[in-house]
Amino acid sequence: MITVEHVSFDYHSQPDVLKDVSFTIDKGRWVSILGHNGSGKSTLAKLIVGLLKAKEGSITVDGIVLNEETVYQVRKKVGIVFQNPDNQFVGVTVEDDIAFGMENLCFTREEITKRIDKYAKQVGMEDYLSKEPHQLSGGQKQRVAIAGILAMDTDIIIFDEATSMLDPIGRDEILAFMQQLKHQGKTIITITHDMKEAVLSDEIIDLKEGQLLTHDKTKKVLQDKVTLNKSNLELLPSLKLYHKIKEAGIVNEELRDYLWQLSLQK
Amino acid sequence: MAIKFTEVSYQYSSPDGSLFDALKNINLDIAKTGEFIALIGETGSGKSTLVQHMNALMKPSSGQVEIYGIKINHSKSKKQKLTPLRQKVGLVFQFPEYQLFEETVMRDIMFGPRNFNISKEEAKQRARKAIIQVGLDESYLERSPFNLSGGEKKRVSIAGILAMEPDILVLDEPTSGLDPKGRDALIDLFTLIHNTYHKTIIIITHDMNIVHQVASRVLVMREGELVFDGTSEALFNNESLNKWNLEEPDLIKMTKQLEQRYSISMRPFPKNIDQLFHHIKDVI
Amino acid sequence: MNNIVIGQYIPGSSFLYKMDPRSKILALILLMVTTFVLTDIIQILVLLSVLLVILKLGGIPIGRIVKGLRPIIVLLFFTFTFQVLFIKTGRIILDETLHYSFYTILLAVGVVLFWMITKRFIKFKISYFLMMIVGILSIFMYYPIGDPFAQGQLVIYTGGLQGAFFIMVRLIIIVTLSTILTLTTKPTDLTLGLEQLLKPLSIIKVSAEEIALIISIALRYIPTLLDEANKIMLAQASRGVDFKEGKLKDKVVQIISLLVPMFIISFKRSDELANAMEARNFVPGNRRTRLHILTWQTIDTITIIITAITIPVAILLRVMLG
Ligand SMILES: Nc1ncnc2c1ncn2[C@@H]1O[C@H](COP(=O)(O)OP(=O)(O)O)[C@@H](O)[C@H]1O
Ligand SMILES: Nc1ncnc2c1ncn2[C@@H]1O[C@H](COP(=O)(O)OP(=O)(O)O)[C@@H](O)[C@H]1O
Ligand SMILES: [Mg+2]
Ligand SMILES: [Mg+2]
Repeated sequence: MITVEHVSFDYHSQPDVLKDVSFTIDKGRWVSILGHNGSGKSTLAKLIVGLLKAKEGSITVDGIVLNEETVYQVRKKVGIVFQNPDNQFVGVTVEDDIAFGMENLCFTREEITKRIDKYAKQVGMEDYLSKEPHQLSGGQKQRVAIAGILAMDTDIIIFDEATSMLDPIGRDEILAFMQQLKHQGKTIITITHDMKEAVLSDEIIDLKEGQLLTHDKTKKVLQDKVTLNKSNLELLPSLKLYHKIKEAGIVNEELRDYLWQLSLQK
Repeated sequence: MAIKFTEVSYQYSSPDGSLFDALKNINLDIAKTGEFIALIGETGSGKSTLVQHMNALMKPSSGQVEIYGIKINHSKSKKQKLTPLRQKVGLVFQFPEYQLFEETVMRDIMFGPRNFNISKEEAKQRARKAIIQVGLDESYLERSPFNLSGGEKKRVSIAGILAMEPDILVLDEPTSGLDPKGRDALIDLFTLIHNTYHKTIIIITHDMNIVHQVASRVLVMREGELVFDGTSEALFNNESLNKWNLEEPDLIKMTKQLEQRYSISMRPFPKNIDQLFHHIKDVI
Repeated sequence: MNNIVIGQYIPGSSFLYKMDPRSKILALILLMVTTFVLTDIIQILVLLSVLLVILKLGGIPIGRIVKGLRPIIVLLFFTFTFQVLFIKTGRIILDETLHYSFYTILLAVGVVLFWMITKRFIKFKISYFLMMIVGILSIFMYYPIGDPFAQGQLVIYTGGLQGAFFIMVRLIIIVTLSTILTLTTKPTDLTLGLEQLLKPLSIIKVSAEEIALIISIALRYIPTLLDEANKIMLAQASRGVDFKEGKLKDKVVQIISLLVPMFIISFKRSDELANAMEARNFVPGNRRTRLHILTWQTIDTITIIITAITIPVAILLRVMLG
């Protein structure tokens, strides 16, 4: 569980990047954070893993209040996959990279090797263990990053636009993992511009210029035309048509239900 | 024809001497004006390699590329002057960070024209024009290109190419990493440039919605081969779409689903939701 | 992009590959010391031939060593010349007058021209270069045609020749040794070995682990950087930069147009990388376990003993032979 209370932040310049943001994410939920470029999404993610320190307000992760002493405890619970596949690949080879986090946590060698095998298999990279990053595609590098985080056994995983530099195939692979992780009971936070990613989540948080605009169940957000208009979500055609038909007063339950179903598929 | 590829192949060579076929026997014609082409295909299929042949940044390993009458092939001597072609065919790379380097946006935009021996005054004039063209205002000219947002950097990098006044504008994945608003704004910009100046525009993209929205012609690359060259309508009716690992645009996907469900036909495919709405309204 | 090789590692399976990188690094250092202790031509040649035998047994083609020598050939040539000309001990073995006249100089220029034109057709470039030098010298020494307007004296002593020879053989041995090391050890293992050997430095507050981490990250990013530099170059070429041409002033701008983006991208990258590392629980200076460990085998112990023994033996020989 993550609780963010009245958090504000600035980069020692100009206006606040985050302004009095509060929300709670329950265990096992999948939450999408949406918002324009520059609305403060990445900043929020970095605050949650303690890479940045809030100017005001507090962040609590699984009952631990985040501060300078507890930050290492919190990082054991929260993993983060960043946007650029190249800039988070630390190891010289795939297996080194998966091991990196575990090495830092001082796992035994036996444990590390065991987990490398297990999680490389889970992300389908078991045949690439000795490959170097420049021999991999962007999607493969992101999968390695995911394996590295799974191996550390974190309960919460944040994906900060992890699919935005990938082609559709790479993106779909990562989306499939997110669904798989959700089934395993992980708490997932995806920062994204992609509605296909967002409709899969349980809840949507919408940021605008550092302020929390909306936080509600995905289905509710998608139903509510007023909220949708205020937000900067890009609607899938099926949802657009759904609302258009609703507005036009056309009564056709069957078609509306069908469009609604379509809207919730990826 | 402005650009003509004849049986073009290209191999990357690695230090251990092995060769990798990045382009295989490409035949392609591109007109001087009026085309809006989308170049699509999986990562690694050779899209970037292909467009870098269009302004002679790369020379084919075999076959021939003809750009504005200048023939480029492997055997041609090194003396051939190719830089002028880069003015005719402007290529914008994927990451603006690859090209921005001057202190001010103004100087950065002037860099291209100055390299082609345009006078300082003229280059300044062009920079002012280009910054407006890309939808920013003149106040940006005095700012540092490094303090801009991602979308603004992208625009400045495009302005830097537009100021060279190329006939053909080629953009390598211009919308990747942008939010929907930023992406739509860029696409509107390309459409505007295309409509007002009748320049041929070629964009590489993974976003099939963009392809559906704007492209009059689509090229599909797959493992170094050009497997499709035709209209977008023809592409989305093509059986092989799945085989090429391409997804359908959201609108078309839904249209097809509705067609099937209600046994109706809505061809040509609707371009936007309003068109679709009119179709479906009549049915129900 | 897919195939940039870092280091010179070539996969193999001989005993050289099975050895612990630590013992290889140590053996390299020990043998280097021995090389500098030895002062007798026969002995140092014996050492060289032993190395060649090891090379053969280890399955390393001699060609790779020659390749490794290539970058230092200029250095070899100059030290050789310097030694030969300026060391004046031992017997005189050559004492000739050099005649500089209009004709001899004209002839020498002719030889140089001939060499310049023909060298591209000759396979053994270095030997051909040496032949040209000898040719020119012989003209000045043995064809005193025309009125000399200046004269020089070329005196070569045995000491000079010996010194030159020694330096050459030593350099060759050192290059051979380090080529063996880099050819048979993966860069990762090399850094790990280095790290372990540098561990004692922690007493003086130098963290071997951090040095090793820095080296391995540098290794990991070299291909990425090269690829990026290439792309930036193409991006600027698209804006009309002609990297092959231009006046000096243009050249400066060209280089800036390359370096500024490189610098800015690298800066952003290191920032993001630091974030990624920290988020994965990296804390500078903290203890870490390691996936890779090195295993010291009997062969390593034997290697170290043998190479270590060569030093006292060499000293002994030197003392005994005076
Ligand atoms: N390291 C930094 N220094 C100064 N300003 C920054 C830094 N990182 C981000 N910003 C600014 O903070 C704002 C929010 O950025 P970010 O959280 O990255 O947004 P998002 O992830 O939603 O695109 C932006 O205006 C950005 O320019
Ligand atoms: N400089 C290079 N050296 C070797 N191989 C390369 C180089 N650049 C690209 N390639 C390879 O050529 C293929 C095509 O690359 P590219 O044209 O960049 O594809 P795309 O733009 O469609 O993703 C890829 O498999 C890529 O790995
Ligand atoms: Mg962000
Ligand atoms: Mg590309």
